[in-house]
Amino acid sequence: MMEGKFSVIGKSKPRIDGRVKVTGQAKYTGDLKLSNMLVGKILTSPHAHAMILKIDTTEAQRQPGVKAVITHEDVPDLKYGISPARWDENIFCIDKVRFVGDKVAAVAAIDEETVYKALALIKVDYELLPAVFDPIEALQEGAPLVHEQCPGNVNTEIHQNFGDVEKAFAEAYYVRTDTFVGQRTYQCPIEPHSAISVWEGGKLTVYSSTQSPHYFQYYIARQFGLKMGDVRVIKPHMGGGFGGKLEPTGLEFAGAALAMRTGRPVKMFYDRHEMFAHNRGRHKQIMKVTTGVDKHGKILGVHADFIMDGGAYTSLGVATAYYAGAMLPLTYEYENYKFDMIRAYTNLPACGAQRGHGHPQPRYAYECHLDMLAKDLGMDPLELRLINTRKPNTVTPNDFRVNSCELEACLKKAKEISGWEEKRKNLSSGKGIGLAVGSFVTGAGYPIYRTDLPQAAAMIKVNEDGTSATLYTGAVDIGQGSDTILCQMAAEAMGFTYEQMKIVSADTETTPHDFGAYASRQTLMSGAAVKQAGEEVKQQVIEMASMMLQTDYRDLECREGVIWRKTDPSVTITYAAVARDFFVRKGPLVGKGSYTPPKLGGTFKGAPVGTSPAYSFCAQISQVDIDEETGEIKVEHVWDVHDCGTVINPALLHGQVHGALFMGMGEAVWEEVVFDDKGKILNANLGEYRLPTALDMPNITSELVFSPEPEPAGPWGVKEVGEGSTIPTMGCYSNAIYDAMGVRVYSLPLSYEKVWRALKEKREHEQQK
Amino acid sequence: MYLPDFDYIAAATVVKASRLLGSLGPEAKLIAGGTDVLPMLKQGTLATKTLISINRLSELKNISFEKGKGHIIGALATHNEVMKSPVLQEKYMSVCETAHRMANNQIRNIGTIGGNISNAVPSADFPPILIALGATVTLQNSSGSRTLPLEGFFMGPRQSVIAQDEILTEIVIPENGFSGSTYHKFGLRRSGALAVVGVAVAVAMEGNICKDACIVLGAVAPTPMRAKEAEALLRGKEVSDALLEKAGKLAAAASNPITDIRGSEEYRRDMVRVFTRRCLRKAMDNGHV
Ligand SMILES: Cc1cc2nc3c(=O)[nH]c(=O)nc-3n(C[C@H](O)[C@H](O)[C@H](O)COP(=O)(O)OP(=O)(O)OC[C@H]3O[C@@H](n4cnc5c(N)ncnc54)[C@H](O)[C@@H]3O)c2cc1C
Repeated sequence: MMEGKFSVIGKSKPRIDGRVKVTGQAKYTGDLKLSNMLVGKILTSPHAHAMILKIDTTEAQRQPGVKAVITHEDVPDLKYGISPARWDENIFCIDKVRFVGDKVAAVAAIDEETVYKALALIKVDYELLPAVFDPIEALQEGAPLVHEQCPGNVNTEIHQNFGDVEKAFAEAYYVRTDTFVGQRTYQCPIEPHSAISVWEGGKLTVYSSTQSPHYFQYYIARQFGLKMGDVRVIKPHMGGGFGGKLEPTGLEFAGAALAMRTGRPVKMFYDRHEMFAHNRGRHKQIMKVTTGVDKHGKILGVHADFIMDGGAYTSLGVATAYYAGAMLPLTYEYENYKFDMIRAYTNLPACGAQRGHGHPQPRYAYECHLDMLAKDLGMDPLELRLINTRKPNTVTPNDFRVNSCELEACLKKAKEISGWEEKRKNLSSGKGIGLAVGSFVTGAGYPIYRTDLPQAAAMIKVNEDGTSATLYTGAVDIGQGSDTILCQMAAEAMGFTYEQMKIVSADTETTPHDFGAYASRQTLMSGAAVKQAGEEVKQQVIEMASMMLQTDYRDLECREGVIWRKTDPSVTITYAAVARDFFVRKGPLVGKGSYTPPKLGGTFKGAPVGTSPAYSFCAQISQVDIDEETGEIKVEHVWDVHDCGTVINPALLHGQVHGALFMGMGEAVWEEVVFDDKGKILNANLGEYRLPTALDMPNITSELVFSPEPEPAGPWGVKEVGEGSTIPTMGCYSNAIYDAMGVRVYSLPLSYEKVWRALKEKREHEQQK
Repeated sequence: MYLPDFDYIAAATVVKASRLLGSLGPEAKLIAGGTDVLPMLKQGTLATKTLISINRLSELKNISFEKGKGHIIGALATHNEVMKSPVLQEKYMSVCETAHRMANNQIRNIGTIGGNISNAVPSADFPPILIALGATVTLQNSSGSRTLPLEGFFMGPRQSVIAQDEILTEIVIPENGFSGSTYHKFGLRRSGALAVVGVAVAVAMEGNICKDACIVLGAVAPTPMRAKEAEALLRGKEVSDALLEKAGKLAAAASNPITDIRGSEEYRRDMVRVFTRRCLRKAMDNGHV
């Protein structure tokens, strides 16, 4: 279908960075070595909650090779954070530490060995304070206060009420309530966080493993009182982020301060253990959901009542808290919706945004809850969903406008390719099949801090001899492949070839502004800017060619580096020839573009969170095999059907589905950050924090459905895929386990032992009867 | 986390390594593959001033069969060398499979069988199957050597009978009458997980009669432990599913697991029951697998 329409997009072009990555030529931040570079590290708190009485750095300063030791006294005391509503972090703790891993001091020295030795020589006197590690306890009266200015440890409180839920429940044929608990997980990007700060001639340059050079630039400039123009953030090649590298990590603040003090470049990094301690992973959530239905199973109203463990700081948690409830009504149509949420402070590492931001756990809760409702009603869970599925061109109760939406087609296709009906009846004992759906924003409608900057901008320069073109974009390739697909989009819009595209990206000085890689925004938002820039180039090329060929420009077509006459295709001229001539006569051949979404969403408190120009939809079905004696879960097959709009690069798209599924799977069955009773992480390593391995992965069928009318909000009708596939997985497995064994595990992860225990309890219960 | 300072001496012979260990005393530590020593040094759970490497002693890598003695495995054989050894594959696929399921490929390339045993960690994978097959270990120092059953080697978590100046040189699986053996590591994912429960069995079958059985449990007591009541139940009996289930229950009752982040005591105990029964069935039906 796409073959004729497009020349470059819709094809599995090889990654633009594939060759340098597989040959090891690609340089990540940690690989960079600048001359005279120092190594820096942060000293962190060993206690979950304690007053800092005294910090003595004399001995550390005296250690040969140490160039600087700094504490809160040496840096600005301005509070920062990524949620402007709640700036609550300092570069270094001033009077107290709030979790094991809180930042206390930093050292720069000539090498790593010296840094570690110096860290051990810093003496900090602490006075221990009582600590709180559970969000429900933290909200109780008399609980230790994590932040004195924040009574009751309430970090974020949300009460949203759309329609009349009480009335809906009162009129419902059936109402059911369930409570589920999600766990803390951590993103575990393969590449550890690192940053190199260079302070030269009044300008600060930071190479950083970041998802958003722009936000880093903004926060660093603000923190040190610099103009944004005097701060340059560059993102080298990157090995993943998944949400954990979206906000300042502390490394760039400490690094900048150390670079300013020593006049030398300073490289800072976290090791695996410190990554876990810095955290900003998925929140633990306690989720109570209530649904009222009529006697056909039509949903009349929903109440989501959640509590979240935010850890010691806000991080991105205000947004996470809103997202948790905001995205629930996307998949099913109902008018009455109530959402209550408290995000509590505790003395644990701060939680933030992780793939699917806030939504996978509530979706797990809701999809399990719906299956139980279906059972109570004696309905097939798939049929119950079909009755309620959102339709295109509708508006959610919380004022999100949904344009394209093929959730129904996703469900029907998933049903067909998985053999749902047959398997529901005839799977052998121990095996089960389960279903869940999901939806996600294609970019957040509004930036994280209030600004009227466009979401994305791009510039394309056709190089002087016309044989190549360079795309300049602030979009951030963190491994997901945005450099590749944006070059495909540029070439398509320009009428050029992908193979001759070059890219400069994610550098706040040389590339146009872009907010970065989060909320699955870049294909649509950065892509829209790139498309516009490409079209501007194409128009200039065609005008030039029209002069050179003495042909009306309306009679010219341009694709894949060739311009020809529509009425006589034998008349052609190469892009290179036209572009070169353009440069000779008129100077640089440049196109530019920018993208600002339309005004989105309602006017109630928190209305912006969850708005998006377009939403992806997906249905997932999984088949599991449960060992009824051990509780072991073998996922045999997963069928994922996505409505993600027009596809730019099928190979990368399905790669995103596989990767998202991998993460969803890990969170569903294996992953959990575990603490001891003093707030110390017990499994801050990849041995005991169990990501799934290749051997644990199921067979995956990743399929797509397309809407008859392409999504109007996206360039060529694109929508997101990067996070959407993480969202249904946990609920999908839970439902499959229930189908296999008739037991429900009410908390994540659905570990072998929990399944074993549920089976044991079920057997004991049956014996008693 | 960063490695502390230490001296490093690569010993040229076993005797020299032993002398160094003897003269430097407890502040010196032997290192083979280092897959356990180095993480402990980084985490600060091991303090040592000198590491004495025996990695150059290629004579300790030998894997062979000697008639009258049995299968000999040098202490420095890596997990992958054990896994790929034709001599072992021919007779004791169960030992090769144990190696195959350990850690990940990188660790299997450098971690050694001697290190796995000497470490004396309750969850280690090699000891249960080797004890089940009646293996002995030879410990050498500068004045001589002694050979003892592996079963008597362990004293507690990270504690064994090995003296400060002794080096484990070889493991021998003597010729024995077992017709089948197997080890099951129950971990919390399919690769790269430590044992929550490990069960090894060796059985001597004559038709459907169990003439002899040895059951060894890992990760459910301070040291690998024999489930002797279960073994006694099986000896001389005609095998049935009910009998194996009963053996599993006896093994579970005898085990002494703890609760930690990998599993509760209760769960571990029940897994002993399940895997004892399954391993017995597997070894009885399929030989050394
Ligand atoms: C990622 C990872 C995964 C792992 N997975 C597993 C697993 O699945 N199953 C498992 O059982 N283990 C596992 N381990 C633990 C470890 O790899 C093994 O126990 C390994 O066999 C240790 O051997 P080594 O040669 O590396 O020992 P080293 O670290 O060199 O030594 C370990 C200890 O034994 C002593 N020692 C070593 N050789 C001798 C000798 N010849 N004589 C006397 N003392 C000696 C050392 O002094 C030290 O105390 C894993 C480790 C890692 C890092």
